[in-house]
Amino acid sequence: MLDLNGVTPIYIQIAEWMENQILNGTFQIDEKVHSQYTLAEMFNINPATAAKGLHLLSEEEILYTKRGLGKFVSPLAKTIIMEKRKSQTLTGLITDLVLEAKQLQVEDDELLEMIRKEMKQQKGEEI
Amino acid sequence: MISCKHVTKTYRGTTALNRLSCNIHENTITGLIGRNAAGKTTLLKILTGMIKESSGEVEVFSKHPFNNLFVSANSILVDDQMSFANSISLYELLQQAGRFYKNWDMDLALRLFDYFSFQPNAIHEGLSKGRKSTFNMIIGLASRCPLTIFDEPTTGMDAVVRNDFYRALLKDYIAHPRTIIISSHHLDEMEHLLEHVLVIKKGKELLHIPMEDLKEYAIGLEGKTAVLKEWLGDQPVLTKRTASDYAYIAVKNDFDTEQLEQVKQQGVKVSPVSANDVCMYLTKGQKGGIDDVFRQR
Repeated sequence: MLDLNGVTPIYIQIAEWMENQILNGTFQIDEKVHSQYTLAEMFNINPATAAKGLHLLSEEEILYTKRGLGKFVSPLAKTIIMEKRKSQTLTGLITDLVLEAKQLQVEDDELLEMIRKEMKQQKGEEI
Repeated sequence: MISCKHVTKTYRGTTALNRLSCNIHENTITGLIGRNAAGKTTLLKILTGMIKESSGEVEVFSKHPFNNLFVSANSILVDDQMSFANSISLYELLQQAGRFYKNWDMDLALRLFDYFSFQPNAIHEGLSKGRKSTFNMIIGLASRCPLTIFDEPTTGMDAVVRNDFYRALLKDYIAHPRTIIISSHHLDEMEHLLEHVLVIKKGKELLHIPMEDLKEYAIGLEGKTAVLKEWLGDQPVLTKRTASDYAYIAVKNDFDTEQLEQVKQQGVKVSPVSANDVCMYLTKGQKGGIDDVFRQR
Protein backbone atom coordinates (compact mmCIF):
# COMPACT_ATOMS: atom_id res chain seq x y z
CA MET A 1 0.00 0.00 0.00
CA LEU A 2 0.97 3.64 -0.17
CA ASP A 3 2.83 5.61 2.45
CA LEU A 4 0.84 8.85 2.45
CA ASN A 5 3.18 10.66 4.80
CA GLY A 6 6.39 9.34 3.32
CA VAL A 7 9.27 10.99 1.53
CA THR A 8 8.28 9.74 -1.91
CA PRO A 9 5.52 11.75 -3.62
CA ILE A 10 2.26 9.80 -3.95
CA TYR A 11 2.22 9.89 -7.76
CA ILE A 12 5.67 8.30 -7.84
CA GLN A 13 4.49 5.64 -5.41
CA ILE A 14 1.57 4.96 -7.76
CA ALA A 15 3.99 4.64 -10.68
CA GLU A 16 6.21 2.28 -8.67
CA TRP A 17 3.24 0.18 -7.58
CA MET A 18 2.16 -0.14 -11.21
CA GLU A 19 5.73 -1.07 -12.22
CA ASN A 20 5.72 -3.83 -9.60
CA GLN A 21 2.43 -5.16 -10.96
CA ILE A 22 3.98 -5.28 -14.41
CA LEU A 23 7.16 -6.97 -13.15
CA ASN A 24 5.24 -9.66 -11.25
CA GLY A 25 2.99 -10.29 -14.22
CA THR A 26 -0.33 -8.99 -12.89
CA PHE A 27 -0.48 -6.85 -16.00
CA GLN A 28 0.80 -8.54 -19.16
CA ILE A 29 2.10 -6.95 -22.35
CA ASP A 30 -0.68 -5.17 -24.28
CA GLU A 31 -3.05 -5.56 -21.34
CA LYS A 32 -5.09 -2.57 -20.17
CA VAL A 33 -4.03 -1.20 -16.78
CA HIS A 34 -6.23 0.46 -14.14
CA SER A 35 -7.63 3.87 -14.97
CA GLN A 36 -6.88 6.94 -12.85
CA TYR A 37 -10.34 6.60 -11.29
CA THR A 38 -9.87 2.97 -10.29
CA LEU A 39 -6.48 3.80 -8.79
CA ALA A 40 -7.91 6.83 -6.97
CA GLU A 41 -10.61 4.67 -5.44
CA MET A 42 -8.19 1.83 -4.58
CA PHE A 43 -5.62 4.04 -2.90
CA ASN A 44 -7.97 6.74 -1.58
CA ILE A 45 -6.27 9.58 -3.45
CA ASN A 46 -7.28 12.36 -5.83
CA PRO A 47 -7.74 11.06 -9.42
CA ALA A 48 -5.44 13.82 -10.69
CA THR A 49 -2.62 12.43 -8.54
CA ALA A 50 -3.22 8.94 -9.93
CA ALA A 51 -3.26 10.38 -13.45
CA LYS A 52 0.10 12.01 -12.82
CA GLY A 53 1.56 8.62 -11.88
CA LEU A 54 0.18 7.02 -15.04
CA HIS A 55 1.44 9.93 -17.12
CA LEU A 56 4.94 9.38 -15.75
CA LEU A 57 4.85 5.76 -16.98
CA SER A 58 3.62 6.89 -20.40
CA GLU A 59 6.49 9.34 -20.67
CA GLU A 60 8.94 6.54 -19.89
CA GLU A 61 7.18 4.41 -22.53
CA ILE A 62 6.29 1.75 -19.98
CA LEU A 63 2.63 2.34 -20.88
CA TYR A 64 1.09 3.44 -24.15
CA THR A 65 -2.26 5.10 -24.74
CA LYS A 66 -5.07 3.98 -27.02
CA ARG A 67 -7.26 7.01 -27.46
CA GLY A 68 -10.55 6.62 -25.70
CA LEU A 69 -9.67 3.16 -24.43
CA GLY A 70 -7.07 3.80 -21.75
CA LYS A 71 -3.48 2.89 -21.04
CA PHE A 72 -1.81 -0.41 -21.92
CA VAL A 73 1.45 -2.18 -21.04
CA SER A 74 4.04 -1.62 -23.75
CA PRO A 75 6.00 -4.60 -25.12
CA LEU A 76 9.29 -3.33 -23.68
CA ALA A 77 7.84 -2.39 -20.28
CA LYS A 78 9.72 -4.96 -18.19
CA THR A 79 13.07 -4.18 -19.79
CA ILE A 80 12.63 -0.45 -19.32
CA ILE A 81 11.65 -0.84 -15.66
CA MET A 82 14.57 -3.12 -14.87
CA GLU A 83 17.10 -0.91 -16.64
CA LYS A 84 15.78 2.15 -14.82
CA ARG A 85 15.88 0.52 -11.42
CA LYS A 86 19.37 -0.81 -12.01
CA SER A 87 20.78 2.59 -12.78
CA GLN A 88 18.85 4.41 -10.04
CA THR A 89 19.18 1.94 -7.18
CA LEU A 90 22.80 1.16 -7.88
CA THR A 91 23.82 4.81 -8.13
CA GLY A 92 22.07 5.51 -4.84
CA LEU A 93 23.82 2.65 -3.07
CA ILE A 94 27.20 3.76 -4.38
CA THR A 95 26.64 7.32 -3.16
CA ASP A 96 25.84 6.04 0.32
CA LEU A 97 28.82 3.69 0.25
CA VAL A 98 31.30 6.42 -0.67
CA LEU A 99 29.82 8.79 1.91
CA GLU A 100 30.07 6.21 4.69
CA ALA A 101 33.65 5.38 3.69
CA LYS A 102 34.54 9.05 3.90
CA GLN A 103 33.07 9.38 7.38
CA LEU A 104 35.07 6.35 8.50
CA GLN A 105 38.18 7.77 6.84
CA VAL A 106 38.61 4.72 4.62
CA GLU A 107 41.14 5.42 1.86
CA ASP A 108 40.02 5.15 -1.78
CA ASP A 109 42.27 2.19 -2.53
CA GLU A 110 41.14 0.43 0.62
CA LEU A 111 37.49 0.85 -0.39
CA LEU A 112 38.12 -0.37 -3.95
CA GLU A 113 40.00 -3.36 -2.55
CA MET A 114 37.02 -4.14 -0.30
CA ILE A 115 34.68 -4.05 -3.31
CA ARG A 116 36.97 -6.29 -5.35
CA LYS A 117 37.26 -8.74 -2.50
CA GLU A 118 33.49 -8.90 -2.13
CA MET A 119 33.05 -9.40 -5.86
CA LYS A 120 35.60 -12.20 -5.87
CA GLN A 121 33.96 -13.89 -2.94
CA GLN A 122 30.49 -13.79 -4.50
CA LYS A 123 31.85 -15.07 -7.80
CA GLY A 124 33.63 -17.86 -5.94
CA GLU A 125 30.40 -18.86 -4.27
CA GLU A 126 28.58 -18.97 -7.57
CA ILE A 127 31.05 -21.43 -9.12
CA MET B 1 -15.16 28.30 -13.09
CA ILE B 2 -14.28 30.64 -10.20
CA SER B 3 -12.35 33.80 -10.76
CA CYS B 4 -11.51 36.43 -8.16
CA LYS B 5 -9.60 39.59 -8.99
CA HIS B 6 -8.45 41.99 -6.29
CA VAL B 7 -11.39 41.09 -4.08
CA THR B 8 -11.63 43.15 -0.90
CA LYS B 9 -14.15 42.86 1.91
CA THR B 10 -14.24 45.16 4.88
CA TYR B 11 -16.52 44.90 7.89
CA ARG B 12 -16.80 48.19 9.80
CA GLY B 13 -13.18 49.11 9.25
CA THR B 14 -11.81 45.57 9.63
CA THR B 15 -10.36 44.16 6.42
CA ALA B 16 -11.31 40.50 6.01
CA LEU B 17 -10.14 40.13 2.41
CA ASN B 18 -7.40 42.31 1.00
CA ARG B 19 -7.21 42.37 -2.82
CA LEU B 20 -7.34 38.59 -3.06
CA SER B 21 -7.02 37.02 -6.50
CA CYS B 22 -7.44 33.38 -7.48
CA ASN B 23 -8.78 31.08 -10.17
CA ILE B 24 -10.29 27.70 -9.44
CA HIS B 25 -10.85 25.22 -12.23
CA GLU B 26 -13.97 23.20 -12.82
CA ASN B 27 -14.16 19.70 -11.33
CA THR B 28 -11.14 19.95 -9.05
CA ILE B 29 -10.85 19.57 -5.30
CA THR B 30 -9.17 22.55 -3.68
CA GLY B 31 -8.12 22.85 -0.05
CA LEU B 32 -8.44 26.32 1.44
CA ILE B 33 -5.92 26.71 4.22
CA GLY B 34 -5.41 29.62 6.58
CA ARG B 35 -5.42 30.47 10.25
CA ASN B 36 -8.38 31.75 12.19
CA ALA B 37 -9.49 35.14 10.84
CA ALA B 38 -7.43 34.75 7.65
CA GLY B 39 -10.59 35.38 5.60
CA LYS B 40 -11.52 31.81 4.61
CA THR B 41 -15.18 32.00 5.56
CA THR B 42 -15.58 35.48 4.07
CA LEU B 43 -14.20 34.26 0.75
CA LEU B 44 -16.49 31.20 0.72
CA LYS B 45 -19.55 33.30 1.54
CA ILE B 46 -18.74 35.71 -1.29
CA LEU B 47 -18.31 32.81 -3.74
CA THR B 48 -21.73 31.41 -2.84
CA GLY B 49 -23.36 34.85 -3.03
CA MET B 50 -24.27 35.09 0.63
CA ILE B 51 -22.42 38.34 1.16
CA LYS B 52 -21.24 41.02 -1.26
CA GLU B 53 -17.61 41.99 -1.76
CA SER B 54 -16.66 45.60 -1.01
CA SER B 55 -14.60 45.90 -4.18
CA GLY B 56 -12.94 43.78 -6.84
CA GLU B 57 -14.35 41.32 -9.37
CA VAL B 58 -15.87 37.94 -8.54
CA GLU B 59 -17.17 35.49 -11.10
CA VAL B 60 -18.69 32.08 -10.40
CA PHE B 61 -20.16 30.13 -13.34
CA SER B 62 -19.32 33.34 -15.30
CA LYS B 63 -21.80 35.27 -13.13
CA HIS B 64 -21.54 37.72 -10.30
CA PRO B 65 -22.60 35.53 -7.36
CA PHE B 66 -24.24 38.04 -5.01
CA ASN B 67 -28.04 37.67 -5.09
CA ASN B 68 -27.76 35.51 -8.17
CA LEU B 69 -30.34 32.73 -8.43
CA PHE B 70 -28.32 30.59 -10.82
CA VAL B 71 -25.32 30.59 -8.48
CA SER B 72 -27.61 29.86 -5.51
CA ALA B 73 -29.25 26.91 -7.21
CA ASN B 74 -25.93 25.42 -8.30
CA SER B 75 -23.83 25.86 -5.18
CA ILE B 76 -23.96 24.81 -1.56
CA LEU B 77 -21.96 26.03 1.42
CA VAL B 78 -21.80 23.50 4.21
CA ASP B 79 -20.72 24.91 7.57
CA ASP B 80 -21.75 24.82 11.22
CA GLN B 81 -23.98 27.85 10.78
CA MET B 82 -26.41 26.10 8.43
CA SER B 83 -29.84 26.74 9.84
CA PHE B 84 -32.60 24.21 9.46
CA ALA B 85 -36.21 24.37 10.49
CA ASN B 86 -36.71 22.83 13.90
CA SER B 87 -40.40 22.22 13.33
CA ILE B 88 -39.68 19.29 11.03
CA SER B 89 -37.70 16.08 11.51
CA LEU B 90 -34.31 15.20 10.03
CA TYR B 91 -35.99 12.85 7.58
CA GLU B 92 -38.29 15.63 6.41
CA LEU B 93 -35.28 17.93 6.07
CA LEU B 94 -33.76 15.46 3.60
CA GLN B 95 -37.01 15.38 1.64
CA GLN B 96 -37.15 19.17 1.54
CA ALA B 97 -33.51 19.39 0.39
CA GLY B 98 -34.58 17.36 -2.62
CA ARG B 99 -36.90 20.18 -3.65
CA PHE B 100 -34.06 22.71 -3.53
CA TYR B 101 -31.33 20.91 -5.40
CA LYS B 102 -32.00 19.50 -8.83
CA ASN B 103 -29.22 16.87 -8.63
CA TRP B 104 -30.27 15.70 -5.16
CA ASP B 105 -29.66 11.97 -4.64
CA MET B 106 -32.20 10.80 -2.06
CA ASP B 107 -30.91 7.24 -2.22
CA LEU B 108 -27.38 8.34 -1.25
CA ALA B 109 -28.77 10.65 1.45
CA LEU B 110 -30.76 7.81 3.03
CA ARG B 111 -27.90 5.34 2.85
CA LEU B 112 -25.58 7.79 4.62
CA PHE B 113 -28.35 8.70 7.07
CA ASP B 114 -28.74 5.05 7.94
CA TYR B 115 -24.98 4.31 8.00
CA PHE B 116 -24.39 7.12 10.52
CA SER B 117 -27.38 5.86 12.57
CA PHE B 118 -29.55 8.98 12.57
CA GLN B 119 -33.07 8.81 13.97
CA PRO B 120 -35.52 9.87 11.23
CA ASN B 121 -37.74 11.79 13.65
CA ALA B 122 -34.90 13.59 15.51
CA ILE B 123 -34.68 17.39 15.39
CA HIS B 124 -31.60 19.20 14.05
CA GLU B 125 -31.30 21.51 17.04
CA GLY B 126 -31.14 18.53 19.39
CA LEU B 127 -28.03 17.08 17.75
CA SER B 128 -24.57 17.42 19.29
CA LYS B 129 -21.91 19.49 17.50
CA GLY B 130 -20.32 16.50 15.80
CA ARG B 131 -23.67 15.00 14.81
CA LYS B 132 -24.77 18.32 13.30
CA SER B 133 -21.57 18.38 11.24
CA THR B 134 -22.24 14.81 10.11
CA PHE B 135 -25.83 15.59 9.09
CA ASN B 136 -24.75 18.77 7.26
CA MET B 137 -22.14 16.73 5.42
CA ILE B 138 -24.87 14.36 4.19
CA ILE B 139 -26.79 17.35 2.81
CA GLY B 140 -23.60 18.63 1.18
CA LEU B 141 -22.77 15.32 -0.50
CA ALA B 142 -26.28 14.34 -1.59
CA SER B 143 -27.04 17.76 -3.10
CA ARG B 144 -24.39 17.07 -5.78
CA CYS B 145 -24.08 20.79 -6.50
CA PRO B 146 -21.69 21.72 -9.32
CA LEU B 147 -20.00 23.94 -6.74
CA THR B 148 -19.82 22.24 -3.36
CA ILE B 149 -18.07 24.05 -0.53
CA PHE B 150 -17.30 22.70 2.93
CA ASP B 151 -16.19 25.22 5.53
CA GLU B 152 -14.50 23.41 8.42
CA PRO B 153 -16.74 20.37 7.79
CA THR B 154 -15.20 18.07 10.38
CA THR B 155 -15.75 20.30 13.45
CA GLY B 156 -16.67 18.04 16.34
CA MET B 157 -16.62 14.82 14.29
CA ASP B 158 -14.72 11.93 15.83
CA ALA B 159 -11.78 10.40 13.99
CA VAL B 160 -13.82 7.53 12.51
CA VAL B 161 -16.51 9.82 11.08
CA ARG B 162 -13.87 12.22 9.70
CA ASN B 163 -12.22 9.34 7.90
CA ASP B 164 -15.56 8.12 6.56
CA PHE B 165 -16.45 11.64 5.43
CA TYR B 166 -13.28 12.09 3.38
CA ARG B 167 -13.70 8.64 1.84
CA ALA B 168 -17.36 9.30 0.98
CA LEU B 169 -16.42 12.64 -0.55
CA LEU B 170 -13.75 11.06 -2.74
CA LYS B 171 -15.96 8.20 -3.91
CA ASP B 172 -18.83 10.51 -4.78
CA TYR B 173 -16.46 12.94 -6.50
CA ILE B 174 -15.05 10.14 -8.69
CA ALA B 175 -18.56 9.03 -9.65
CA HIS B 176 -19.90 12.59 -10.05
CA PRO B 177 -17.08 15.08 -10.66
CA ARG B 178 -17.79 18.60 -9.43
CA THR B 179 -15.92 21.60 -8.14
CA ILE B 180 -15.20 21.16 -4.46
CA ILE B 181 -13.56 23.52 -1.99
CA ILE B 182 -12.81 22.39 1.56
CA SER B 183 -11.48 24.74 4.18
CA SER B 184 -9.79 23.23 7.17
CA HIS B 185 -7.06 23.65 9.75
CA HIS B 186 -6.18 20.02 9.32
CA LEU B 187 -4.40 19.76 6.00
CA ASP B 188 -2.70 16.51 7.03
CA GLU B 189 -5.95 14.55 7.24
CA MET B 190 -7.25 15.56 3.82
CA GLU B 191 -4.16 16.24 1.72
CA HIS B 192 -4.47 12.96 -0.19
CA LEU B 193 -7.83 14.14 -1.57
CA LEU B 194 -6.69 17.50 -2.83
CA GLU B 195 -5.56 18.50 -6.27
CA HIS B 196 -4.78 22.12 -5.37
CA VAL B 197 -4.12 24.07 -2.23
CA LEU B 198 -4.91 27.74 -1.73
CA VAL B 199 -3.16 29.21 1.29
CA ILE B 200 -4.36 32.59 2.51
CA LYS B 201 -3.00 34.88 5.17
CA LYS B 202 -4.57 38.11 6.40
CA GLY B 203 -7.07 38.20 3.55
CA LYS B 204 -4.53 37.73 0.80
CA GLU B 205 -3.54 34.69 -1.25
CA LEU B 206 -0.09 33.45 -0.27
CA LEU B 207 0.26 30.32 -2.34
CA HIS B 208 -1.95 28.51 -4.85
CA ILE B 209 -0.23 25.39 -6.12
CA PRO B 210 -0.84 21.70 -6.82
CA MET B 211 -0.83 19.58 -3.67
CA GLU B 212 2.15 17.55 -4.89
CA ASP B 213 4.18 20.73 -5.32
CA LEU B 214 3.35 21.89 -1.82
CA LYS B 215 4.85 18.70 -0.45
CA GLU B 216 8.12 19.49 -2.18
CA TYR B 217 7.94 23.22 -1.49
CA ALA B 218 10.40 23.15 1.41
CA ILE B 219 13.18 21.01 2.82
CA GLY B 220 14.53 20.60 6.31
CA LEU B 221 18.27 20.79 6.94
CA GLU B 222 19.81 19.58 10.15
CA GLY B 223 23.45 20.01 11.07
CA LYS B 224 26.13 22.26 12.51
CA THR B 225 24.87 25.86 12.68
CA ALA B 226 28.09 27.22 11.17
CA VAL B 227 27.87 24.88 8.14
CA LEU B 228 24.19 25.70 7.57
CA LYS B 229 24.84 29.44 7.90
CA GLU B 230 27.63 29.37 5.36
CA TRP B 231 25.63 27.27 2.95
CA LEU B 232 22.35 29.18 3.15
CA GLY B 233 23.74 32.73 3.28
CA ASP B 234 20.92 35.21 3.75
CA GLN B 235 18.23 33.01 2.20
CA PRO B 236 14.90 33.48 4.02
CA VAL B 237 14.28 30.82 6.63
CA LEU B 238 10.84 29.29 7.18
CA THR B 239 11.60 28.01 10.63
CA LYS B 240 14.61 27.48 12.80
CA ARG B 241 15.26 25.46 15.94
CA THR B 242 18.64 25.48 17.60
CA ALA B 243 20.29 23.39 20.26
CA SER B 244 23.82 24.61 21.17
CA ASP B 245 25.80 24.56 17.90
CA TYR B 246 23.25 22.38 16.10
CA ALA B 247 20.28 23.68 14.13
CA TYR B 248 17.26 22.51 12.19
CA ILE B 249 16.28 24.93 9.47
CA ALA B 250 13.44 24.67 6.97
CA VAL B 251 13.85 26.65 3.75
CA LYS B 252 12.14 26.90 0.38
CA ASN B 253 13.50 24.12 -1.79
CA ASP B 254 15.21 25.87 -4.69
CA PHE B 255 18.12 23.46 -4.73
CA ASP B 256 18.93 20.87 -7.38
CA THR B 257 19.95 17.31 -6.61
CA GLU B 258 23.63 18.14 -7.02
CA GLN B 259 23.53 20.91 -4.43
CA LEU B 260 21.69 18.65 -2.01
CA GLU B 261 24.31 15.93 -2.50
CA GLN B 262 27.00 18.49 -1.71
CA VAL B 263 25.39 19.59 1.51
CA LYS B 264 24.90 15.95 2.54
CA GLN B 265 28.64 15.45 2.04
CA GLN B 266 29.20 18.15 4.66
CA GLY B 267 27.30 16.08 7.20
CA VAL B 268 23.95 17.86 6.94
CA LYS B 269 20.81 15.74 7.20
CA VAL B 270 18.23 16.62 4.54
CA SER B 271 14.57 15.76 5.16
CA PRO B 272 11.22 16.59 3.57
CA VAL B 273 8.89 19.10 5.22
CA SER B 274 5.24 18.00 5.35
CA ALA B 275 2.64 20.14 3.57
CA ASN B 276 1.01 20.82 6.93
CA ASP B 277 4.26 22.17 8.37
CA VAL B 278 4.89 24.30 5.28
CA CYS B 279 1.48 25.93 5.74
CA MET B 280 2.10 26.45 9.43
CA TYR B 281 5.46 28.13 8.83
CA LEU B 282 4.07 30.30 6.03
CA THR B 283 1.03 31.50 7.92
CA LYS B 284 2.49 32.12 11.36
CA GLY B 285 2.58 35.73 12.55
CA GLN B 286 5.50 38.09 12.74
CA LYS B 287 5.39 38.24 16.50
CA GLY B 288 8.00 35.56 17.02
CA GLY B 289 6.99 32.39 18.79
CA ILE B 290 4.95 31.49 21.84
CA ASP B 291 8.21 31.28 23.80
CA ASP B 292 8.68 35.04 23.46
CA VAL B 293 5.45 35.69 25.34
CA PHE B 294 6.97 34.08 28.41
CA ARG B 295 10.47 35.40 27.93
CA GLN B 296 9.51 39.07 28.07
CA ARG B 297 8.02 39.00 31.55
